[in-house]
Amino acid sequence: MPNGGSWFDQFVNELPKKPWFKRVGAWILVPIWAWRTPVKPLRGGPRPSIQPADNLQSMMNLIMPLKRENKSPIGRAKAALAIAENKDQIFAGLDNVGTVHFARFVIVNDNICMFSVYDGDFSNYIRDFIATIGGVFDAVVALVEGGDDVLPSAHKVEAFIEWIRRHDLYQVPDTATDFLRDQEALNGDNAASGNDDLSLLPRKLILQLRANANVSLGSGYRAYPGYSAAQVRERLGIGW
Amino acid sequence: MVDASVAQRLVDDMISNLPKHDPGKRPVHTIGVGVDGYFTASDVARKYCIAEHFSGQRICAKVRFSNASGSPEQHDGWSDVRGMATRFLLPNGAATDLIATTLGEFFARNVEDFFEFTKFDKQKPCQRESPWRKILDMLQLKVPRRAPYPGEKTNAGAGILSYANRHRFAQLAVFEAKLIGAPVSYARAAYHAIHTFMVEGPDGVRRPVRFSWQPVAGVRNTNPDAPPDDNYLRQELDHRLRRWPARFMLMMTIGEAGDAIDDPTRPWPAKRVRVVMGTLTLTNVAEDQAAAGEHISFNPWRLVPGIEPSGDPILHARRDAYEVSRKMRGGIACPFFNRS
Amino acid sequence: MFNFADVQGNIVRGYRGKPRVRHLVLEIADRIAARRWLAACASGGDNVPQITTGDWGADKPVTCFNIGLTYEGLRALGTPDSSLETFPNEFIEGMHARALKLGDVGESAPENWPAPFKDPKRIHLVATIYASDIAQLNQVQDQALADGRTLRLLGGALDGCSFPDDLVHFGYRDNLTQPRFAGVHDAERYADGQPKAPLGTVLLGHPTNFEGLEWRVPEPEQLGHNGTFNAFRVLKQEVVAFEEFLGTAADHLLSQASVDELLPLGADAIGQGLSPRDALREVVAGSICGRWRGTGTPLALSPDRPNLLPGMSLTDFDYDSSRCPYGAHIRRCNPRGGQIVQRVANNSRRLVRRGMPYGPLYDPANPRDPELERGLLSNFIGANLGAQFEAMSCDWLNLGLQDPRITGSNDPMLGANDFKTSWFDLPLRSGRTIRLRGLPRFVQTRGGAYTFLPSLSAIRFLGSLMM
Repeated sequence: MPNGGSWFDQFVNELPKKPWFKRVGAWILVPIWAWRTPVKPLRGGPRPSIQPADNLQSMMNLIMPLKRENKSPIGRAKAALAIAENKDQIFAGLDNVGTVHFARFVIVNDNICMFSVYDGDFSNYIRDFIATIGGVFDAVVALVEGGDDVLPSAHKVEAFIEWIRRHDLYQVPDTATDFLRDQEALNGDNAASGNDDLSLLPRKLILQLRANANVSLGSGYRAYPGYSAAQVRERLGIGW
Repeated sequence: MVDASVAQRLVDDMISNLPKHDPGKRPVHTIGVGVDGYFTASDVARKYCIAEHFSGQRICAKVRFSNASGSPEQHDGWSDVRGMATRFLLPNGAATDLIATTLGEFFARNVEDFFEFTKFDKQKPCQRESPWRKILDMLQLKVPRRAPYPGEKTNAGAGILSYANRHRFAQLAVFEAKLIGAPVSYARAAYHAIHTFMVEGPDGVRRPVRFSWQPVAGVRNTNPDAPPDDNYLRQELDHRLRRWPARFMLMMTIGEAGDAIDDPTRPWPAKRVRVVMGTLTLTNVAEDQAAAGEHISFNPWRLVPGIEPSGDPILHARRDAYEVSRKMRGGIACPFFNRS
Repeated sequence: MFNFADVQGNIVRGYRGKPRVRHLVLEIADRIAARRWLAACASGGDNVPQITTGDWGADKPVTCFNIGLTYEGLRALGTPDSSLETFPNEFIEGMHARALKLGDVGESAPENWPAPFKDPKRIHLVATIYASDIAQLNQVQDQALADGRTLRLLGGALDGCSFPDDLVHFGYRDNLTQPRFAGVHDAERYADGQPKAPLGTVLLGHPTNFEGLEWRVPEPEQLGHNGTFNAFRVLKQEVVAFEEFLGTAADHLLSQASVDELLPLGADAIGQGLSPRDALREVVAGSICGRWRGTGTPLALSPDRPNLLPGMSLTDFDYDSSRCPYGAHIRRCNPRGGQIVQRVANNSRRLVRRGMPYGPLYDPANPRDPELERGLLSNFIGANLGAQFEAMSCDWLNLGLQDPRITGSNDPMLGANDFKTSWFDLPLRSGRTIRLRGLPRFVQTRGGAYTFLPSLSAIRFLGSLMM
C-alpha cells in the first residue's frame, strides 16, 4: 500500500510486476538458489495414513509424457484411439475392481494424463487394474517415454506399479506448513520444533516447484468425503 | 479447569500487551457488532446430536461479529482475524454458545504455550522497510515485509514471527493470520470454532466434532493493495441485512481415531466426513448495541446436554479466562450449565 | 509332477505332528562360514541340521528345520547387488518400514518392538525348528549354532507350543483351512469349497491367481525359483481384555430389544446349562471370528449353534447367502467366493498360515498374570508380499474396503482398533443388525520380519557364493 515514500521506494514496489524482473527471477535467481540450497523431489500420491477416511477418495494425478516420436497430432491420435478402442475394457475394469469413483484420461500438450479418484491402497488399485485392463495400460504406456521398460504390465507388475507411482504427482498439502514438514521429513528432520525461518517459505516453495514441476495443489476437494465408491452405490440402492 | 489465578494471569498478560486498553471493554475482539437472527437445524442434525438447538424447530440466535484486535481504535480494513460468537436461545430459557473465528487453528497447544506467546506478542515500532532491504529480500526470493498501514505505529508482527520460528506447532496459525486480510463483509467470511467437542447422538454414540460456519454468500476479501478503510463493516452489515438476510451453514466435521482431538493447533484433514447441521439466518443489526454488542458475554462452556467439551487445554482455559474478563469489564453474567 | 524335494517343507506341509516350535532370530557373524553352513544344511552333512523339504520319502522326520532370510541377511551373505535389486520393494524395506500398511501403530509400532526386533538391520536369518519336545528343540538348536561363530542368536529363542485340538489363545481352533494347491493336494482328502489355488499363490515362478500376471522372480533363477516370502510376526493376544469385552458386549446385548433374535434356539443350544449372558458371550466370540470357539464350526454353515451336524464340514463352505457377519475375521481375510467390491481379487490374496501359540493357556480363575505374555508366533506365506499379505492387511483387515457394510471399520479380532471409534455389526435373522462398539485392540504386534524362504536349489546357490 504505497502511501508516501520516495520515488525509489515506489519503483521497488512495482518491480515484481515488471516482466524483465520476473525473467531475471526465473532464469537467474531461482537456479542460483537451487544450486545453493538443493531440494529433493517429493514423492507422489497421498500421504500414507492408517485412518479410514484418509484412505478413501484418494487422488491419482498421472502425467505421462509421450515419446519423442509421438509428440505430434499423430501420436496424440494414437493415444486417443488406444482409449477409444478399449472402452469395454475400461468399463469392465471399473465395475469389477469397484474401488474407483471417477477416472479420466486427458491429453495436455504432449502428455497423456490420467486423473482418478480411488479408494484404498495405491498398489492394490493399480495391481487389480493390471489384472483386468492390463491391455489398455499396455496400449497407452507403449506410447509414453520410458514405458517400454515396464511392458508388458502383466509380466512386470511390481516395476509397472513403481513406474506409475513415479509419474503420480506430488500433492502439495492443503496447509503451507504441512508442506514445510514434508520437505523437512525428506531430509530426515522430524523434530517437533526447531529454529526455522518462516520468511523462507516462498523460496522453499519455489525451489520445490522446480524439483516437482507438476504438482497437485492440495489433496483435492470433495463434496462427500469419507465414503468409498461401494458405500455410495450401496446407499443409493444401485448395487455394488 | 485452570486455577483461578492462572485465568487471571492469562487475562492480565493479554491486557499488558495492549498499548491502550479500556477496562470496560474486552481485551481482545474489542470492536464488534451484535446481530439478531435465527437458526434452523437440518433434517439430519438430530441424528448426530441430541442438543435442543438441533431438534429442528426455529431457534432464536444472537450473534456478535468482531475484529480480533484488542485495541480500542477501530481499523476494520487492517488485516485481522474476525470473530463470530453465536448464542442459541433455547425454548426452555437455557442458552448455548458457539464461538468461532476466521482463523481455523490456534497458535498454542496449552496454557504454557500461551504464556510464552504473550512474551513474544509485544508491540514494537514498525517502520516501512527501506527499498534496499526490499531488494535484498527479493534477491533471496523472500517476500518483503508489508508496509505499515497509515496510522499504524506499532505492531507485534516481528515478535509473533519469532515465536512461530521457534515452535512448529504455531506456524500454521501464524502463517494464516498474517495473510488473512480483511473481509468485504462480516457475512462473507468463514468462521471456525477450532476446538473439538463431543456430541452425543440419540443412540448414545459420542463423536468428536469440529464446527464451522460457511457463508452462503461466499468468502471475499478486500483488495490488499488498496488503502484500507477504517470503519465500514458495521455499516455494510446493516445495509446488507436491510436488503436481505445473510445466511451461514453450520458444518460439522466428524473426527476419527488418530486425529488431533485435544490439540487446537492442528486442523483436521479435508477428507473427513462433513455434516450439514443447519442454517443460521441473520435478520438485522441489533437495536440495542450496548446490550447486544458490549454487555453480552459469551463462553465456550455454555453448553447443553448433547454437547460436551473435549480435553483440549485451551478450551479448558477459556472457561475461566472468559469469566475473569467478563467480571473485569462488567459484562452480564448468565447462569451457565455447571460442568466440572 | 511337482518336485517336492526342491521346496522347504513348511510351505506345503503343516507339521501337524510336531507340537513344539522354536524360532531363532539370527545374525550372520561370518559370511564365509555362513555360506558353508547353508551349503551343509542342504546337502546331507551331519554336523548341521538338515533343511526339511516337502518330500519326506517313506518316514516322517523326527524334527523339522527350515530357514528364512531377510534382505539384510541376503546382503550379509554377499549376494551380488544385481541380484538384490531384483527382490521386491517391500521385502527390501523390511517389515518395520511398512508399519502403516500393516496397522502396526501405537503400541504395535516397530519403535516399541522388544529385542531382537528393535534392531531390524541385524536380523539376517530366522531358523525354525519343529519337534515333539523341548529336548529335541535344544538339540537341534545346539547343532545349528554349534561352532558359536557363524551365526549369532539375537535375543532369546521364541518358543511356541500347540494346544490340543488346534486351539489357540482366545479359544478358537486355528489351522482349519489352508489353500490347497493344484498338482499338490489330493482333492478328495480335503474339500474346502474353494478352487484349488495355483501353485504361484505360494511359489515364485509359477502361474499366479491373477490371470496372466507373473510376479518378478528374483534373479538368478536358481535363487528365486520355487522360493517364497513369509511375513513372520509375533502377535501378542490380549486375552484378558478379550474375555472382558465378551462380557461387556453380552451385557450390552442383553439390554437390547432384539436380543432374542441372537439366541433363536435358546441359550442351551450354544452350550448345555449356559446362562443367556454366557451364551451371548459365545455368540459374540463366534461372530468376531466367523467360527464358534471350541468346535470351530463355521458360522457360515451354522449361525445359530456351535455343534457340527453330521454331513457338515469344517472347511467346505462359502459365503453366498450366509449369516456370517461381513466383518468377521475369517471372512474379512479370506472372502472365498463371497461378494466383494474388488471382484477380480476373490481368492487372490490367499496365504498359507503356519502359526503356533506361545504363552500359557488362559485360566479364567486366575485372569491376571501381568508378567506372562500370550500370543501367536505366526507365519503368513505367499509368493508376493505386496499382492497378498500387505494387500489383505491394508485394505481388508483394516479399512474393510471389500464390503461397503464394513468400510471404515477394522477387523474385530486383529485390526488396529481404537475403542473410541471401533464398531462391529452382528447380523440378525430378520436382516437387521446390532452394532457393537468400543472394541479395544486385542492383538498387538511385538515383532516380525519379512523373510525369503529359498528353495533347496537356492540354498545351495547361496552356499556356493564366491567373492
